[in-house]
Amino acid sequence: MAFLEIDGLKKRFGNVEILKGIDVELEKGGFLVLVGPSGCGKSTLLNTIAGLETITEGEIRVDGRAINDLHPSKRDIAMVFQSYALYPNMTVAGNIAFGMEMRGVPAAERQKAIDKVAKILQIGHLLNRKPSQLSGGQRQRVAMGRALVRDPKLFLFDEPLSNLDAKLRVDMRIEIKRLHATTGTTIVYVTHDQIEAMTLATKIAVMRDGEVQQFGTPAEIYNNPTNVFVADFMGSPAMNLIPAKIGANGSGLSVVLDREARQPIALALPGAPAGLAAFKDKPVIFGVRPEALTDPEGAERNGSEIATADCHIEVIEPAGSDTFAVTNLGGKAVVARLRADARIQPGTSTPLAFNLTKAVFFDPATEKRIL
Amino acid sequence: MSAVTSPARQASGGIRARTLNRIVIYGLLALFALFYLMPLFVMLVTSFKTMDEIQNGNMLALPHAPTFAPWIKAWSEVCSGLTCVGMKGYFWNSIKMVVPAVVISTLLGALNGYVLTKWRFRGHTLVFAMMLFACFIPFQSVLLPMATILGSLGRFGATLRNATGFSFGLGNSTVNLVFVHVVYGLGFTTLFFRNYYEAFPTELIKAAQVDGASFFQIFRRIMLPNSLPIIVVTVIYQFTNIWNDFLFASAYAGSGDVMPMTVALNNVVNTSTGVVEYNVNMAAAMIAALPTLIVYVVAGRYFVRGLMAGAVKG
Repeated sequence: MAFLEIDGLKKRFGNVEILKGIDVELEKGGFLVLVGPSGCGKSTLLNTIAGLETITEGEIRVDGRAINDLHPSKRDIAMVFQSYALYPNMTVAGNIAFGMEMRGVPAAERQKAIDKVAKILQIGHLLNRKPSQLSGGQRQRVAMGRALVRDPKLFLFDEPLSNLDAKLRVDMRIEIKRLHATTGTTIVYVTHDQIEAMTLATKIAVMRDGEVQQFGTPAEIYNNPTNVFVADFMGSPAMNLIPAKIGANGSGLSVVLDREARQPIALALPGAPAGLAAFKDKPVIFGVRPEALTDPEGAERNGSEIATADCHIEVIEPAGSDTFAVTNLGGKAVVARLRADARIQPGTSTPLAFNLTKAVFFDPATEKRIL
Repeated sequence: MSAVTSPARQASGGIRARTLNRIVIYGLLALFALFYLMPLFVMLVTSFKTMDEIQNGNMLALPHAPTFAPWIKAWSEVCSGLTCVGMKGYFWNSIKMVVPAVVISTLLGALNGYVLTKWRFRGHTLVFAMMLFACFIPFQSVLLPMATILGSLGRFGATLRNATGFSFGLGNSTVNLVFVHVVYGLGFTTLFFRNYYEAFPTELIKAAQVDGASFFQIFRRIMLPNSLPIIVVTVIYQFTNIWNDFLFASAYAGSGDVMPMTVALNNVVNTSTGVVEYNVNMAAAMIAALPTLIVYVVAGRYFVRGLMAGAVKG
């Protein structure tokens, strides 16, 4: 039995269904990230777990106990808010201890707990300051301290890094990961940033319009997206989703990609998924991540299905660690990720290697994965 | 001026025009300041003069031999109607009325604002609209209905006294005035606090809920300590209004030793026996105006800050 179980959870505001039946579960000590574009219902879902929003239908269980109707304070959870929500009139120590104070924990015990958390988060020197005297990163730490000090069953993070600048965000991300590793707490984390989702999670739920599009480990989500939305949302730069056609190649299949003013490319698919046969001579969406489309020297040598084709390079973007090349296939700009020192010129034709083991196909009508 | 002018000339012309603008603006400001300060000045200097000096001298002249006698007389001897015990009793009447009225109406307004923004219920906009409506009801129109209600309360108080030996303040003029001012002020205080709390981050309330704070604990520990600017605004507004109120005071506590300051001052000035003692009248008027002046001086800068806070707080 999982530690956190969400069963058929629905939430309606009047006639508007915000959450349309969510089923998610998380093992003890796991790190669940709810990710999706704004308005997908991820924050609402988190608030229902916290008890700050009521549930229309379904059940939430923590450690086998249904918590649907419990007051937020009775759920044994702690929450870190997007704005940190530090009480401006209290010192850092007062902020951290407020929850314990409300629960009637004796002052001596509170002090001990504050000191312990301050040590973990290295905020000992800030304890007597007011939140307004802290920097963004320090406030973030205090907000985490306020959650940590309670030693709850479940931690809830609501986009905790979105107010920080880019560099600090990376630092705090690592810090959260380290905290999770050292304390072994169970965390539910909301973000719209797919990199945060990929790096932090043990389980990801990709959400859109109040529905979970896919639920799985980061690797599953990244390598085996169930539909076009997940494929497009996860990964940066995004997966290339190229309109293509399935053709015959002897007894097997091939994928045919249009090129501007040239012969279409036909790539043989020896390991094509079974479902693809039904799409013979029909359009599909051919999905290939930028790193699976590279210069032949940089392609994985042991990849069993490497196909090479000449592509016209329109733009190159040297990013330092890699060089991104933009070509045009099937009427769409397609990004290839090359080695930083790849010799390549814009406006020329150059062979690119397609790693077809990593390629995925989608039905253009339903946008679902063809398996 | 012709269309073609040298840049230098344009610049100097600009400076000259700006200087002229400044002179006009500051001149007008000074004039208005003088205009508004003149009555206060006359009151103040007159209150320190002897009657001889008032009758024979210039109204605007500074007192030759400043004396506190008029102030002392106004405080403890002056006649209001037929009783000659000074203003001090009435001053305390006003204090006894204004302090509870301000405290209660401010607290209730804060509570209303808290509920109307952070604990929203179905129809909260309608409730707020109706409370706002209270701000626009003219004093005069509630005089009679309120008198009826206060009369009923008084009778209820008498019944209580017969039954329990204690009236719980019902029927007492000061309590009546506190009640009237709380009811009448609630619309304004609710408006102030609702608008302030509208911009108050809701995540703080959520955080406190997760921390286990109750409805009133959140109010007392989170909302009130972060409401200083709007509390000051409300207190100044309510204090000035209630202290200066004449209509309700004269209608519900218009005679005897329960009169508030404003009514008593009116009676002092209108006493028609003997010589009109302008210096004593002025001193009495100054005493009546002093509390509101002090409140402004002490808390005035919060007043401006508080009025702005609602507008620009991000």
